[in-house]
Amino acid sequence: MSDGTRARAARSANPDYKILVVDDEPDLERLVKQRMRRHIRSGRYGFEFAGNGIEALEKLTEIRDIDIVLSDINMPKMDGLTLLQQIPEVNADIRSVIVSAYGDMENIRTAMNRGAFDFVTKPIDFADLQVTIDRTLRHLDEWRAALASRDKLVALQNELDVATKIQQSILPDQFPHVDGCEVYGCMEAARNVGGDFFDVIRLEGGSLGLAVADVSDKGVPAALFMMSSRTLLKGAAVGIGHPGAVLSEVNDLLNETNDAAMFVTVFYGVYDPASKVLTFSNGGHNPPLVVHADGSSEELELTGGIALGAVPQFEYGQASVQLRPGDMVVFFTDGVTEAVNPRSDEFGLEAVQALFEDGETRSAQEAAEMILKAVREFAGEAPQFDDLTCMILRVADE
Amino acid sequence: MNVQAENHDGVLVAKVEGRVDSSNSQDFERQLQAAIGDDIGAVVMDLGQLAYISSAGLRVVLLVAKTLGQRNVSISLCALSDPVQSVFEISGFNRIIRIHDTQADALAAAGK
Repeated sequence: MSDGTRARAARSANPDYKILVVDDEPDLERLVKQRMRRHIRSGRYGFEFAGNGIEALEKLTEIRDIDIVLSDINMPKMDGLTLLQQIPEVNADIRSVIVSAYGDMENIRTAMNRGAFDFVTKPIDFADLQVTIDRTLRHLDEWRAALASRDKLVALQNELDVATKIQQSILPDQFPHVDGCEVYGCMEAARNVGGDFFDVIRLEGGSLGLAVADVSDKGVPAALFMMSSRTLLKGAAVGIGHPGAVLSEVNDLLNETNDAAMFVTVFYGVYDPASKVLTFSNGGHNPPLVVHADGSSEELELTGGIALGAVPQFEYGQASVQLRPGDMVVFFTDGVTEAVNPRSDEFGLEAVQALFEDGETRSAQEAAEMILKAVREFAGEAPQFDDLTCMILRVADE
Repeated sequence: MNVQAENHDGVLVAKVEGRVDSSNSQDFERQLQAAIGDDIGAVVMDLGQLAYISSAGLRVVLLVAKTLGQRNVSISLCALSDPVQSVFEISGFNRIIRIHDTQADALAAAGK
C-alpha cells in the first residue's frame, strides 16, 4: 500500500462527516456510493445505510457521531416521519434531510413541523443533494461553533453573533443556471441584527421561486424565526406553486406558535423564463424595482398583503408583470433604502433608481454589488443599523 | 425616543416622539406598557412626532395591539407623518390597526 493509498484509507475510515441514509430501496446504497465516490474517497463524507426507521435508530445508538440523517418517508416498520420524532432523543445534535415525492406538501409540512432541516425531492438529483448536504453541514458547523462559544460567554453580543451565524449559514451561495435569465443575491449583516434572508428555489416546469424577507427584531429568537420561515417558505413553494397561496400557507403555519408577535415581511415571486412573466405576492415587504434596459425603473405594485405571522387566516393576493429582454428586477430589504449617513439622511429609493439611470448593461452580480457598494459609500462612518440584502433577477438580452 | 401618556376621560393617549429602531425597541415596549397600565378603556397612539419606525418598532406596536385585543381594549393610531404612514401601508399593518388623520378623530372614534 502506498502512503497515499494508506492516507486515503485512513480518511475514509474516519471521514469528516457521517451521513446516515435511510431508505427501503436496496439499489440506493449502490447509487449513493457510486455518485458520491469522489467525496467518500477524499474522506469528506462517510455513509451509513439503514432500511427503515428502526434500523436507523439502532445505527444512531451504535454510531454516536453521525451528523446528518437523510431519510425517505414511506418505509416498512417505522416510517421517516416517526423517525424524525425519535431522533432528538437519541442525539439532539443531528440535522435531518427528508426525501419526499415532488409536491407532497402534507408530508413536507409534517416533516418540517417535526424538525427536519431541509428536504430534497424524488427522483433524487445528486447535484442538488450535494448542495443540500453541504449547506446542512455548513449550518451544523456554524451551529456547533456558536454553541461552543455561547457556553463560554453568555454576553449579549455573543448571542447576537450566534444569530448572525445562523443567518449566514442558510443563505444560498450558488445560483441555479437557467436559460434566459440569471439570478444573484447577497447580504451584508449588521452587527446587531439577524433578520434578512433570500432564497432561490427551482420549481417544476423550469420556473424559479424568488424570495426576499426581513424578520422583525434581532437576536437568537429572530434568527430561529427566520430559519423556520425560510424552511416553511421553501416547502410551500415546492408544494403549492401560486405565490398568494404560498404566503397564505406560510402565514398560517407561522401563526400557530408565535407568542412574541414576531413577523416577517416576505416578497415571493415565481418567474417563468419561457413567458418572461413574474407572478408575485407581497407580504408587507418593500416592493422590488423593475429596471428596464434604458435605465428607467418603477416599483412593482403592492398586492394588499400583511407581514407574515401577524394575523392568521389572511388571504394573500397576487399580481403579475410581463418582463422584457434586458429587464432587471431588484429585490431588496429596507436596510438598503433606510441606510443613513453621518448626517442621518436616508439613502432612499431614488438613490437606488439613480444608479441605473446611465442605462449601462450589467450582469445580475454587478448590479447587486453596485448597490451595496453605493450604500456603503453613502453611509461612510455611520454605523450599519440593519442588514443589507439585495437580489437581482436579470432577463437575458434578445 | 420618548413616550408621554395623557388620560382623556378613560382614553389613554400615548404620544411617541423621535425614532424607534432595533436599538431602542425594548425601551419603547417598556415605556408603552408602563404608560398603558391596567385600568384603561381605549388607547390612542399619537405618532405625530414620530420621525421613523423600523420593523422592530412595528413588532412592539403589534404586540401591544394583540395584548390589548385580548383584554377587549381598542387601540388606534393617529397623525402619522408621510414616511411613517408609508411604513404602515407597505407592511400591511394599516389593515390590522385603525389609523386616523388627527387625534380628535381618534378620540371621537374611541367612543368619547
